[in-house]
Amino acid sequence: MSGNNKLDVLVAVYLIPDLAQRDFDTYTKLASDGDIVTDGVALVIKDADGEIQVQETGDHLGHKGAKAGAGAGLVIGLFAPPLLAATVAGAAVGGLAGKFARHRLQGGIGDKLDDALPPGSAGIIAIYEPDGSDAVSGALTNAIRTSTAQIDKASAKELKAGLKEASAGLAG
Amino acid sequence: MPDAGIDRTRLPIRRPPFAGATKRTLEGSKPDWNQAGHVQPPEGAPNVLLVLIDDAGFGNPSTFGGPIQTPNYTRLAESGLRYNRFHVTALCSPTRAALLTGRNHHRVGFGMVGEFSGPFPGYNATVPRDCAPFPRMLQENGYLTSGFGKWHLTPDNQQGYAGPFDRWPTRLGFDYFWGFLGGEAGQYDPLIAENQKIIGVPQAKDGESYYFQDDLADKTIDWLHRVRSEKQSTPWFAYVATGCSHAPHHVPRTWSDKYRGKFDQGWDVMREETFARQKALGVVPADAKLPPRNDAFPTWDSLDETHKRLYARQMEVYAGYSENADWNIGRIVDAIDEMGELENTVIVWIWGDNGASMEGTLTGTFNELTTLNGIPLTPEEQIGLIFKHGGLEAWGDEQLAPHYAAGWAWAGNAPFDWGKQVASHLGGTRNPMVVHWPGGIDDAGAIRSQYTHVNDIGATILDLAGIPMPDSVDGVDQQPFDGVSFADTVSDAAAAERHTQQYYEILGNRGMYKDGWLLAQRMQRIPWNLDPAKLSEFGPGWNPEDDPVELYYLPDDFTQSNNIAADHPEKVRELRELFWAEAEANHVLPLLGGLTSFFGMVPPIPEESKFVFRGDIQNIPSGMIPPIYNHSYTISADLVIPPGGVEGVIVAEADNLGGFSLFVQDGKLKHTYSMLGVLEYTQAAEQVLPSGEVNVELVFTADASKPATGGEVTLLVNGEPVAKGRMEHTVPGRFSGYSGMDIGRDNGLVVDRSYADKAPFTFTGEIKQVVFDVAPHLSEEDAKAMNEHAAQALAAHAASA
Repeated sequence: MSGNNKLDVLVAVYLIPDLAQRDFDTYTKLASDGDIVTDGVALVIKDADGEIQVQETGDHLGHKGAKAGAGAGLVIGLFAPPLLAATVAGAAVGGLAGKFARHRLQGGIGDKLDDALPPGSAGIIAIYEPDGSDAVSGALTNAIRTSTAQIDKASAKELKAGLKEASAGLAG
Repeated sequence: MPDAGIDRTRLPIRRPPFAGATKRTLEGSKPDWNQAGHVQPPEGAPNVLLVLIDDAGFGNPSTFGGPIQTPNYTRLAESGLRYNRFHVTALCSPTRAALLTGRNHHRVGFGMVGEFSGPFPGYNATVPRDCAPFPRMLQENGYLTSGFGKWHLTPDNQQGYAGPFDRWPTRLGFDYFWGFLGGEAGQYDPLIAENQKIIGVPQAKDGESYYFQDDLADKTIDWLHRVRSEKQSTPWFAYVATGCSHAPHHVPRTWSDKYRGKFDQGWDVMREETFARQKALGVVPADAKLPPRNDAFPTWDSLDETHKRLYARQMEVYAGYSENADWNIGRIVDAIDEMGELENTVIVWIWGDNGASMEGTLTGTFNELTTLNGIPLTPEEQIGLIFKHGGLEAWGDEQLAPHYAAGWAWAGNAPFDWGKQVASHLGGTRNPMVVHWPGGIDDAGAIRSQYTHVNDIGATILDLAGIPMPDSVDGVDQQPFDGVSFADTVSDAAAAERHTQQYYEILGNRGMYKDGWLLAQRMQRIPWNLDPAKLSEFGPGWNPEDDPVELYYLPDDFTQSNNIAADHPEKVRELRELFWAEAEANHVLPLLGGLTSFFGMVPPIPEESKFVFRGDIQNIPSGMIPPIYNHSYTISADLVIPPGGVEGVIVAEADNLGGFSLFVQDGKLKHTYSMLGVLEYTQAAEQVLPSGEVNVELVFTADASKPATGGEVTLLVNGEPVAKGRMEHTVPGRFSGYSGMDIGRDNGLVVDRSYADKAPFTFTGEIKQVVFDVAPHLSEEDAKAMNEHAAQALAAHAASA
């Protein structure tokens, strides 16, 4: 794995939730097999009634978390809006590139993804080391649109800490 | 009026000679009460229910082996007759014109659709007076007549208050009409015409969404009940033409969800499954062959999982939509049964006015108007726009105006190839028909295979009613029917085949049928492709005789799958010559007469360029709004703003999937323009409007007079700019196929959903007038270009309507 100070942040959206689930499973297997190093991944499903649910999470060790808040990974915290203003928006967005990322991440990735997903759809947010990007691209084959941004790992560490705290809050 | 002695060959029927006597006073005068009587249909004439489903294929309804459950169609078939060699013209208006007039479609001006009124007799969308529709003949012979649903036979620019009205249903033989005049309607927000007036967009009741098909059945049943309460025995004729299964494919989820997972096998397998069921049912001969798959449509296996799931949902919605139509027609049949009149009611139910429609392109579309406006969208863009407008769950809801992928249409036309618009092939021309008449059918459940055509219906119904074809109507000598009666086939399975020759032609695709032989010449253009480069192939230098020639002998080849042209050059030559002779005799010429504007023949430049709207004007049909497309324009409104401020719509056309709205929100002037839901633009003033008399203006300065031009928008208040913005692309042809324009409100689905919760968002101040100037500072050259673009856009829309 690379030793640089960057991380890729990927957002993928899906027309069909169970295809997102399929890609999520592929992604977490990549992590558990050691093919990528991930700092977290979340599968977000908006049900037919418009309710957002964080279906599953996985952390940087490739562990597959059971449910939202349990074994919280990095990105699950993205759905704690009060923290986002201080973390994602402040620390990470400046480094983000790509049209989708700009549109969806500014001001709170969770809220924006919530806005972007129509009922009955899904999204995946993943953070991983850049040399896994080809493998990740190959894993998320069912996404109808993806966008990847790069952030400084140093900033991400701060982000991670804050998001873990947010995750704990969600669990409560 | 006694039947004996009535001359029914000249309509209207003359009042009989006075048979009484008159003196100076009543003393000695002898009354003749027939003077006050009305014509009655011949003794024993049956009621007639004529049903036409839209944009559907031979292989759609389960009654003919399809995957869509049509229990009401089936129950009538099982107690009536299935006709498996019934034919239509391959396009909406032409089939309706042939159906109602009994003549060939070009003969009555309908080589194209009602949206296009062109410069040749076969394409002027104007039913000639010497071709009176058969409902007029029924009406003048004493029938009670009514029409419900889709009409599509009134020229697009004649659907307003100013008429003329002589091509509206009420002037073509219908005592009563309720429905929509154009080629399509949203099922949740149609613009309804009743008799000779546009009455608006129906409102939802009791918290439920309005649904057109339900209302269509209700209105039909209500009419039957009303006329029967007044005339207990007079025969009636009711024509019910559903908006289904034309796009937009709208149906409540309770219907579409019945089909969840039913189409996951894809269109290739569905086509084969349908074919097997058709053979089992006997509607297709046991020795028939399924034509090889058509490479114009992708194989299901070549699709990725997302597209398979998307496309499967598209078909689930179409199926639910169609089953709902069956259910609602079943309600009408039930009502007739409850009235005790089913025994003597002839029901003719045609499932499709052309083959199923391929106009959704290969991917299907979130908004069918993108296709009709010639806006190409990649599969990725389509999915992105579906996602943006509500996702897959919204397919069938009011958020989208969807049309399924062409592959479903092709499979829905099984066992035939091609579909709507392709008049050379049975996929576009052969549709199911069921005839039900307990009082006249002895072998219920049987199949009839005599060649029949939609132009036979009028002659057949008159025949069954005992009414002769009139020599003249309103003093105008009548052209004979082109169709012939197949009434004897109803009671006699072995009746001779009387319709032995028929030409076909739609948009250059053509065929010539004679005594079982079918010559087919398909223009080398996919129906949804109106790309100028492709069309240029058919301009000067095009020789139609160079189009590939196919020849089939249908008695041995039910599915048109064995091309034997090479073996029968003499027959090919004979049918070619016969086609040209028929084309000349029926005003088919010039070929492509419906696409003249693409080949330099454009209508005169309109003289009117200013349109002034005063008072409470609502529901202007979409084809009659000021032509603001493809060039600069201004909209100016004189308002009176009360001291407390205002809100609401000043003027709005159509909805958020194509339309514009100039409105006031939070006291500020705003303009939203939806480029068919693909792009949206909004300009908003920062200042609140002043009170008192205020002029607001929208100025669109186009980059050039060209299709879909971009340009700059400026909003002005009392002449001072208050907001600016750019619109990179504008709508080239038409915002909507059915949704109208309103002054002072936004009826139906709204343009800017930010005020959806206040719909119709009525303007709370006073609007003195709204003035459109569609040609500000227009040069002569630009005026010509604008006119040509407008004509082409209209033709493009019409070609797919």
